[in-house]
Amino acid sequence: MRVMIQLRPSPDVVAAVADPGTAVSASDVADRLPGVVLDESFAPVAVPRPLPATPGGDPLSLQRAVFSTAPQHATVLVRGEISDDELVTRATLLPAAARGVTGVFADPVISPVLTCGDSPAVGDATKVAELLRVSELLAEGYDGSGVAVAIVDTGINTAHLETVLGREVTLDRERSWAPEGMEAGPGGFPVDHGTMCAFDSLIAAPRATLLDAPVLNLSAPMPDGLDEDWSPIDGLLSTAVAAFARLRTVLDAMPPESRALVVSNSWGSFSPDWDFPPGHPGNYSDNPAHPFNLIVGSLEQAGADILFAAGNCGRECPDGRCDYPDRPIGGANSHDRVLSVGGVDTEGERVGYSSQGPGRLSDRKPDLCAYTHFAGSKAFGEDVPDSGTSTACPVAAGVVAAIRTRWPATKLSPAQLRTLLRRTADDRSDVGFDYDYGYGVLDTSGVIAALRRRAERTLVV
Amino acid sequence: MVTVRLEGDATLTAATEKLGLSEDEVDTRYGLVAIDPAHDLYGLRVTDEAARRINPAATSDEGEGVFSDPRIEPFGPTR
Repeated sequence: MRVMIQLRPSPDVVAAVADPGTAVSASDVADRLPGVVLDESFAPVAVPRPLPATPGGDPLSLQRAVFSTAPQHATVLVRGEISDDELVTRATLLPAAARGVTGVFADPVISPVLTCGDSPAVGDATKVAELLRVSELLAEGYDGSGVAVAIVDTGINTAHLETVLGREVTLDRERSWAPEGMEAGPGGFPVDHGTMCAFDSLIAAPRATLLDAPVLNLSAPMPDGLDEDWSPIDGLLSTAVAAFARLRTVLDAMPPESRALVVSNSWGSFSPDWDFPPGHPGNYSDNPAHPFNLIVGSLEQAGADILFAAGNCGRECPDGRCDYPDRPIGGANSHDRVLSVGGVDTEGERVGYSSQGPGRLSDRKPDLCAYTHFAGSKAFGEDVPDSGTSTACPVAAGVVAAIRTRWPATKLSPAQLRTLLRRTADDRSDVGFDYDYGYGVLDTSGVIAALRRRAERTLVV
Repeated sequence: MVTVRLEGDATLTAATEKLGLSEDEVDTRYGLVAIDPAHDLYGLRVTDEAARRINPAATSDEGEGVFSDPRIEPFGPTR
């Protein structure tokens, strides 16, 4: 077992350990500790001694203590290992057997507490529904009825959704879209990432109408001229351009008094290698004039709520594919007319892979965080959580869709709704915005209250 | 990807002619996509070689040009 051993050597040794300019080895401090294999790679550490604030007081009582690093007071820690089958004996006898030893302590393994990609699920979809106060949303009539939610992804499998949910889901085949050459039809795609996203969007908006927009194509042929390492789940941005052009026609065909289209995008570009460099007129990541960034702005202006996942390139535990040296939230994921969604687990802590801002097109990204890394769709198996900012994005999209049940875009524009969500988010910083959580964690109770007040003001006018 | 302004005749043929390309340099399956039809802006996929050959004068209006078409991937679990 790994242990830390506390010693009180002579004051000149303590002084040397405490002096950052002096190199002291473990064996300089603790020569011959029977039964202990010293870790010579660990430089001894001086530990201050608590002294009572008032003379004669007990330093371990609740009185204020002062800590002394003076050589005559401080102790020194070294670390090493004791054989497991001698542990109790050695630990008990060491202070008597070796001069200067004052204590033997465990040295446990510590791990980051952040949820990372390989962490087990934290909570489940039921918990997420509680946190999103779905019962309150439903009581106020916010259930997604009549609202189209476009899942721009790998394609949806409605049979899987209905099995997991135990009820029918509504998918509009006519208004869905797919690129040429697709074998499967809307709602009939293999169970994969898109099915997960569709499930997550229905948590807050169970009556929403799904639109299938498979741009990350599992079955289409590989485009000409691409590398051998092309993955079946990859897509090209131009396919998303075509999907958004189609969604514009869907939106334009909606009657203004009920116009509501929510577009959820849990994808992005992981590497600058696939792009022109920033500053090049053809660049995507930093260029508002790129056609996809233009079409996003155009669709939003026409009345669509557009959400993008912030990405999984958080500093603490980034996805292995992350290749941007900094500012991983780029392109449309950082567009000022979209909601860029980071991820928190159901304990409200940011997941370690959630990308941090600033954004490339717009500085203040992500906008806010929503829940991820919970047991939900089972799209990847019984024990595999719905994860990534891929999950947080459609969870937030579902809340937007729920709101749109009673507040179409002509009554509350996408820009106004984004402001409302930012303003009512549960702030996790002292300054209103930070690059980890954005404006905070999506807070539906705050949204509901704000919409009630808005409705009352509208009636009075 | 290339964007081009087409007033009136917004067809893939018109776009191909304006850019001075042949049919086999253009992804006809992708076709012509409306980027911002209110401002006559459309997009099409072309081969890398064709993109390099396009005369800058053919894409000199605001919003026109040759743009990257990067790979996109999901931000979640994958099989």
